[in-house]
Amino acid sequence: MSKVVAVKQQQMNGGARKAVFAPVDSRARVDAVVRRIGDAIELGLLADGEQLPGETDLAGQLGVSTVTLREALMALRQQGLVTTRRGRGGGSFVSLPEVPGEERLKVRLRGWSTEELRDLGDHWAALSGTAARLAADRTEPDDLVQLRRTAEELAQAADAAARSRVYGRFHVELAAAAQSARLTREQVALQTEVGALLCLVLGDDEYREEVSERLRFVISAVQDGAHELAREQAERCVRQSTSRLIALRLTL
Amino acid sequence: MSLATATRDKAPEESVAARVRSTLEAVFDAVSATRADTTALLARVAATGRRPATVDLAALRPGLHGRLARDALVSGVGFVAAPGLLSDVPAWLEWWQTGSDGDVRPLLLDLDPEHSAYADYTHWDWFALPRDTGERAVAGPYVDYLCSDEYSLTLSAPVLVEGRFAGVAAADVYLRHFEAAVMPMLRRLPGPARLVNARGRVAASTDPRHLVGSLSKGPDFGRVLATGRPTQADGGIRLMPCDGVPLVLVSTGQE
Repeated sequence: MSKVVAVKQQQMNGGARKAVFAPVDSRARVDAVVRRIGDAIELGLLADGEQLPGETDLAGQLGVSTVTLREALMALRQQGLVTTRRGRGGGSFVSLPEVPGEERLKVRLRGWSTEELRDLGDHWAALSGTAARLAADRTEPDDLVQLRRTAEELAQAADAAARSRVYGRFHVELAAAAQSARLTREQVALQTEVGALLCLVLGDDEYREEVSERLRFVISAVQDGAHELAREQAERCVRQSTSRLIALRLTL
Repeated sequence: MSLATATRDKAPEESVAARVRSTLEAVFDAVSATRADTTALLARVAATGRRPATVDLAALRPGLHGRLARDALVSGVGFVAAPGLLSDVPAWLEWWQTGSDGDVRPLLLDLDPEHSAYADYTHWDWFALPRDTGERAVAGPYVDYLCSDEYSLTLSAPVLVEGRFAGVAAADVYLRHFEAAVMPMLRRLPGPARLVNARGRVAASTDPRHLVGSLSKGPDFGRVLATGRPTQADGGIRLMPCDGVPLVLVSTGQE
């Protein structure tokens, strides 16, 4: 009996199942690797001149085939972010080209479609909005000290990269204030994707002021236990950042 | 005979609180041993007239690995140096963790403020409380996004060298492991019960109306811990401090 049901279900879901088990788009994988390593270089996580692990090791760590990795390294070489030297002591090395950081970041932003950016923003708003709502229920004054410190640090941070790091930390801390390890892990992963791109919009002093102000609103709503307002403020903050990125993407 | 009488006279809450305490005291044993090793090590280095360096801290590893292997509740253990203590790096965690596969691994953090927004760890409760009070402390429950990405309790104690604060010895207990250890005790009570920290945050609960991580508002749990005496609160709620560790057992009697 249950076997019949199972077979029937399989027939019904045949199309969807085929899609599930279809080969993963290898182009998308190359792009994902390029983004990951490129972002790490832009954010300074990988230093100029640093040697990357060997191809087999790196492919294994990233969970992609060596072919995919080679294609990604080729794209990174074309962007001037990696140089490869052959022979003894050879390998792939991080190299920051002379082109200003902003130009390189714009090249990275061009790698995102507006649909992908919109979707990234939706995911981010879902995480931060929910985190803010839960935090409003689950925090007491001592938990907010860290968020306040971060909002102040953002108001002081001089360069765009520092602003982007601190802004990302605010969202991670908000998820932690919600007492959710899962939301926090998701937010950490999301910030590694969006962090480099946000450098492009946070360099603008006026927008930085606006963000600092917005973060203070989120903190006040969380402190007042106003969970719906906290969610709304956090979502609005994320939506503004995403809109700015999309607007910039449309000019490229 | 006299033993039987003593057991009967003791409130069930009292014996649960005592067992919660001894569960965490076992973790504090790992913290104390780490503190003793570190204090001795730093004193030995100081006697040679030089500042300690990261390479010196490698001598702590056999002890740290042994503690991770011995106590199933301990998922991370180590020494966190006060910034400026070591001669070769501005800041350092000599920190070891048990991975999900059971492997013991070092925690490698980017502590360069030029690269990482998480380079400054001195504001976390597990560091700030022992530094500011000179006493051992229990931090959490909290989401530890610096070291483990787990919902955790961190037990810590200050390390002093010649009377000066040099950092903290600490051990991590993941909340899910803590829950597994204390739930059988809480379940033995006749009604719903929970353990809360000084700020009212629930660390374990058999009461579906008060979930782990939520805040219990109303009673001043900090005061109950400060006085160390069981207290009756509104609504027939009984508050029993887990004497010696900063958790309060909140129970509501028979349902």
